[in-house]
Amino acid sequence: METNAEQLIEQVKDAASHVKPLRIVAGNSKAFYGNNTQGEPLNISGYRGIISYEPTELYITARAGTPLIEVEQALAGSGQMLAFDPPRHTEATTIGGVVACGLSGPRRPYAGAARDFILGITCINGRGQLLRFGGQVMKNVAGYDLSRLLTGSFGTLGVILDITLKVLPVARHELTCTQNMSLQQVRQCLATIATQPYPVSAAAFDGEKLYIRLSGKRELLDETVRTLKMDVDADANAWWQKLRDHRLPLFETAAHCWRLSLPVTAQPQFNDEGFILDWGGAQYWLASNRAGADIFQQAAELGGSATLFKTSEQNQDRFQPLPDTLLRLHRGLKDAFDPQRILNPGRMYATL
Amino acid sequence: MNFDGLRGLVPDSALLLDEETRRVYECDGLSAHRTIPGCVVMPETIEQVQAVCRYCFEHNIPVVARGAGTGLSGGAMPHEQGVLLSLAKFDRILDIDTEARLARVQPGVRNLAISDAAAPYGLYYAPDPSSQIACTIGGNVAENSGGVHCLKYGLTVHNILQLKLVTIEGELVTIGSHALDAPGYDLLALMTGSEGMLGILVEVSVKLLVKPAFSRVILAAFDDVEKAGNSVAGIIAAGLIPAGLEMMDKAGIRAVEDFVHAGYPVDAEAILLCEIDGTEQQVTNELDEVATLLRQFGATDVRVAKDAAESNLFWAGRKAAFPAVGRISPDYYCMDGTIPRKHLAQVLSGIGSLSGQYALPVVNVFHAGDGNLHPLILYDVAKPGELERAEKFGSEILQLCIRMGGTITGEHGVGIEKINEMCIQFSEDELQQFHAVKSVFDEKSLLNPGKAVPTLNRCAEFGAMHAHRGEEKFPELERY
Repeated sequence: METNAEQLIEQVKDAASHVKPLRIVAGNSKAFYGNNTQGEPLNISGYRGIISYEPTELYITARAGTPLIEVEQALAGSGQMLAFDPPRHTEATTIGGVVACGLSGPRRPYAGAARDFILGITCINGRGQLLRFGGQVMKNVAGYDLSRLLTGSFGTLGVILDITLKVLPVARHELTCTQNMSLQQVRQCLATIATQPYPVSAAAFDGEKLYIRLSGKRELLDETVRTLKMDVDADANAWWQKLRDHRLPLFETAAHCWRLSLPVTAQPQFNDEGFILDWGGAQYWLASNRAGADIFQQAAELGGSATLFKTSEQNQDRFQPLPDTLLRLHRGLKDAFDPQRILNPGRMYATL
Repeated sequence: MNFDGLRGLVPDSALLLDEETRRVYECDGLSAHRTIPGCVVMPETIEQVQAVCRYCFEHNIPVVARGAGTGLSGGAMPHEQGVLLSLAKFDRILDIDTEARLARVQPGVRNLAISDAAAPYGLYYAPDPSSQIACTIGGNVAENSGGVHCLKYGLTVHNILQLKLVTIEGELVTIGSHALDAPGYDLLALMTGSEGMLGILVEVSVKLLVKPAFSRVILAAFDDVEKAGNSVAGIIAAGLIPAGLEMMDKAGIRAVEDFVHAGYPVDAEAILLCEIDGTEQQVTNELDEVATLLRQFGATDVRVAKDAAESNLFWAGRKAAFPAVGRISPDYYCMDGTIPRKHLAQVLSGIGSLSGQYALPVVNVFHAGDGNLHPLILYDVAKPGELERAEKFGSEILQLCIRMGGTITGEHGVGIEKINEMCIQFSEDELQQFHAVKSVFDEKSLLNPGKAVPTLNRCAEFGAMHAHRGEEKFPELERY
């Protein structure tokens, strides 16, 4: 059933006047992600459809409830893509959910994250006001960058309605080369590759094999493969898709699946825990039964952060604790957008 | 205002109180607007910045941060009763980490100095605003500066990792991290382009990129601006993202050619410069492809630079566009709107009619790849009324950009210059949301007061003369 913006605004206004929390939901493919939030469902899935797509202006504007696959199909029709490789957890996964959770896939270190491609967002804040920030143009510095602030805020600042994203051409050719290596060899290899102008578009390690994906002109790819002296793996595309969509065995079998985002030079030790290294060495997916506090501390000591991405446990905090000063600013921002705390309260941090 | 309390918080030499010295800081690159600051403070350490902020917070003294003062929107214009906080002494590069490919620098480091320091390692910092020889990284972050290569390499917001800032209450906060993301809200994005309204930057970590092995520039001439615009769309549609894509109109070409002798075709209605970078083979292939496309789209002359020297010569003209205009006119006023590229011909013709109406010539240079237009309005401040006319003309150009679905500022910031036009681009509710965000960081409104976001009162006064876009119900949904 179609939903229009006015209906959603009315629901938010009503919730605000009765101080009744709302749980924002669309495709519900990321119910596993983030902390629990109680509240009346605010269903966005009927607010859908591509509003405008201009391939030569390099942008697409879609309503938040538009399925991600619909957006990607439209782009593919003009040889373009969302370059941040958003994960497609299910067919119902929406563009709004991807942006609200700020998720990016293997191409992220080379092309940018979801937030890097955000050009504009229309949202409803916790007062029920319809607000538009940014726009459809590449360069826009009028006002604070609130569309990027909303990206990855788990719906705690506003109900995202319309999203404009920068899009990029699909690479003309893509191939993956692989080689079996130890973690130490992988780190050396990635460090060397990073200093060269190779057309790398993803680099990951599954514990046994290093995968390097190259994107660009045919000749350039062939030349790079020769220099790297690695084997071309014609079937690797399926592996990348599974990594991107969190469908590799580690994601599906781990009782607790952690995401560690670390400086590329960090060298964490995991003992016997299973892991996948992604983002050219800047992100680890880790299957661990260690206490959360232990992993948060490990990530902080290495200069990064940890997220309990998937878990069977109910009452475990999912996100890296914030220092007091930062948490105070976060609370202030929550208050500035949603003074009654009705939008996804607690989904991200308990007090937001 | 009494600034005596600042003595002892910073060395005596860092406190500038006499009028002659203060006058040096009366404006930034927007020299039409001047105010002599109450005092100038040049701290040397983070602790001193914290102490100054704490003092000003306690005594309700406005604080305006300043880097090199090259900004074009008056963002660093001082407050007459406030502290002008110059970060000029924060000029050290703290670390170049070649393995992590990042540089940790103080905010007063010049943009180009970062790339210079990274060059021995084959690395560079990508955003290159035209003032890069003088402008500082702190100012770049405050304005979210762009440059001629942002279509491919992004703006400042895409190229920084971590900020350390001091709040007006004197607290030191670290935002972002040296990982690719950080937990919580994206405060890094919020701070970038916040025009000194939310905090004082004291350290910036920027990404360094591997320098492309090879690059070349192609120059194309057109007998019609629309054809030039269409060829840009054609290049993008072919799946190419050039490193740079710049356009200039006839008036610009002539001003530049007289000045630089870059070999620009002076009879052309527009020229397009397109830079391709990558490996030598890749660049050579893509140049062929681009040259073919440009001819298909009606270029009357297509020249591929035969070597690096000729590439530099082609660029030299574009880079000298502003000084070249400075030679043909006593003063010029640089605008900064962004439009969807498809409306280029329409917007240029609109600017042409306004030029006639205001009897002021205009030169157009254009970051064509990302739709960022820089019309330069020529005027003479010595002639009574010309500055006011130029400003009105400029305001009409910005309003035209908004009507075309664009924005009033692509990379120069709002500052004091475009504060009225903010009332047109944003609704009352949106402006209120901006103010609410501001007060999270600065409840007393002491940081850069009166800039970037207009008060609703100001808009009410301005609105008496202008129609507001928010008059219909939910116009946003249709026009977005």
